[in-house]
Amino acid sequence: MNPGIDLQGTFIKSLMDLGLPPGTAKAIWMPLPMILMLIGATVGVLVCVWLERKISAAAQQRIGPEYIGPLGLLAPVADGLKLVFKEDIVPAQADPWLFTIGPIIVVVPVFLSYVIVPFGQNILISNIGTGVFLWIALSSIQPIGLLMAGYASNNKYSLLGGLRAAAQSISYEIPLALSVLAIVLMSNSLSTVDIVNQQSGYGILGWNVWRQPVGFIIFWISALAECERLPFDLPEAEEELVAGYQTEYSGMKFALFYLSSYVNLVLSALLVSVLYLGGWDFPISLNLIASWVGVSETNPVLQIIDASLGITMTLLKAYFLVFLAILLRWTVPRVRIDQLLDLGWKFLLPIALVNLLLTAALKLAFPVAFGG
Amino acid sequence: MLKFLKQVGDYAKETVQAARYIGQGLSVTFDHMQRRPITVQYPYEKLILGERFRGRIHFEFDKCIACEVCVRVCPINLPVVDWEYDKASKKKKLNHYSIDFGVCIFCGNCVEYCPTNCLSMTEEYELSTYDRHELNYDSVALGRLPYKVTDDPMVTPLRELVYLPKGVMEPHGLPVDAPRAGARPEDLVEKS
Repeated sequence: MNPGIDLQGTFIKSLMDLGLPPGTAKAIWMPLPMILMLIGATVGVLVCVWLERKISAAAQQRIGPEYIGPLGLLAPVADGLKLVFKEDIVPAQADPWLFTIGPIIVVVPVFLSYVIVPFGQNILISNIGTGVFLWIALSSIQPIGLLMAGYASNNKYSLLGGLRAAAQSISYEIPLALSVLAIVLMSNSLSTVDIVNQQSGYGILGWNVWRQPVGFIIFWISALAECERLPFDLPEAEEELVAGYQTEYSGMKFALFYLSSYVNLVLSALLVSVLYLGGWDFPISLNLIASWVGVSETNPVLQIIDASLGITMTLLKAYFLVFLAILLRWTVPRVRIDQLLDLGWKFLLPIALVNLLLTAALKLAFPVAFGG
Repeated sequence: MLKFLKQVGDYAKETVQAARYIGQGLSVTFDHMQRRPITVQYPYEKLILGERFRGRIHFEFDKCIACEVCVRVCPINLPVVDWEYDKASKKKKLNHYSIDFGVCIFCGNCVEYCPTNCLSMTEEYELSTYDRHELNYDSVALGRLPYKVTDDPMVTPLRELVYLPKGVMEPHGLPVDAPRAGARPEDLVEKS
């Protein structure tokens, strides 16, 4: 197995060579990937917002943002700056504590989930054994924050939006977890790195989409519902509920909600690419090409190319899915709340269960193809 | 048992059909992304208006005979015609004429019925002001002609879809003398 580039090991080793004790060297390393990931996630959101506006415009035969920076690239930055400088209002009759904690509880788990997103063999914050399970657990915290925000606003629309958000998140978490379970069953591990490694080796043919097509669709639908993207954006349905749980929010607190919804979208897209589209895996097996050309696996140039290609591939796959989500936004009309719950409980849940059972059966029957 | 299986089959069929429809919808949305944006970037680009555009009304003071036909055909009797009888020439003498464009609906009846053609439509549509009383145009303001879009060096004039040559959809970078689709009125006159 190609160990790939190991930044952590090299960094700590070079610090220790400078005469630092191993503990200090590790402590200096620790915040670096976290800060990098925070910045990366925020930039990812800016790109996502820009894409959303540009693609939405294209789908409606408009131009979209154009004058704020080249091609309007700075439009989301301007949006963010505006929100930072706006007055932070807490309604008089609202509960100030819950009102403030709500958006924080929404935003923290989403950023925390980036711990498990791998961009390469060693290019992730932490390869935790519980991997995907951590993400599912963290995403369950979000509805509490939404409900808190909705209830604390002391506004009927906010309360309705918060309740809807909680109902939606809880119902769609189950098919989501079940489809992840089928993947876990195939790769015998919860760790995201192991899941990608299990898919690699055969290029595009080894990806989980081919073995889990139903699971892929269920996961993507549920992920869209978890992110409150347009076919399922009932919690903030502007025609019915003004802006749902966000109605009373302004300034930085609103920005936190806005940020978390887009970070969540990018995160879901990243996880789809990790779980189903082979993560950092290039469509053609890179080691195969290297062995054809006759370059050693441990060649530093190859490792750097491999790592950067891995990051690019993961992001490309993720942003392809974001593009799909935006396209879907302008194609599918919003469902009603009863249709939403029907789809979750009466359609996705049984199908996800059948998919899980089928995967288990196939694993027993063909252990070679389904990870015995 | 058979009935149940049929139900399951029907349900599966409906699901597949729903997925097909969503796919069709996605392809339509995707197709729209390749189409030209219809945006006219207004202060920098402006449309060349059609010949029959009904904009702000132009008035020629000297032609007016103060017959007040325009007032009678106006749905709301809007034009104010201030005249007095001149005994020496035994004619009506026009003192003042004004139309309030905050009230005018641009129906064009006055232009249609004016016996001396002293009223006409212009291409001007940018009538916004900070004070609504400024929209009450007197005979001097009514006598001004708007600046043509094609003459304005600050503005890129764009042709409307009907005025584009045959098969052309893109008004940007079109030569000025490119003929529009279909026969022009003068061609029709020659033919008959």
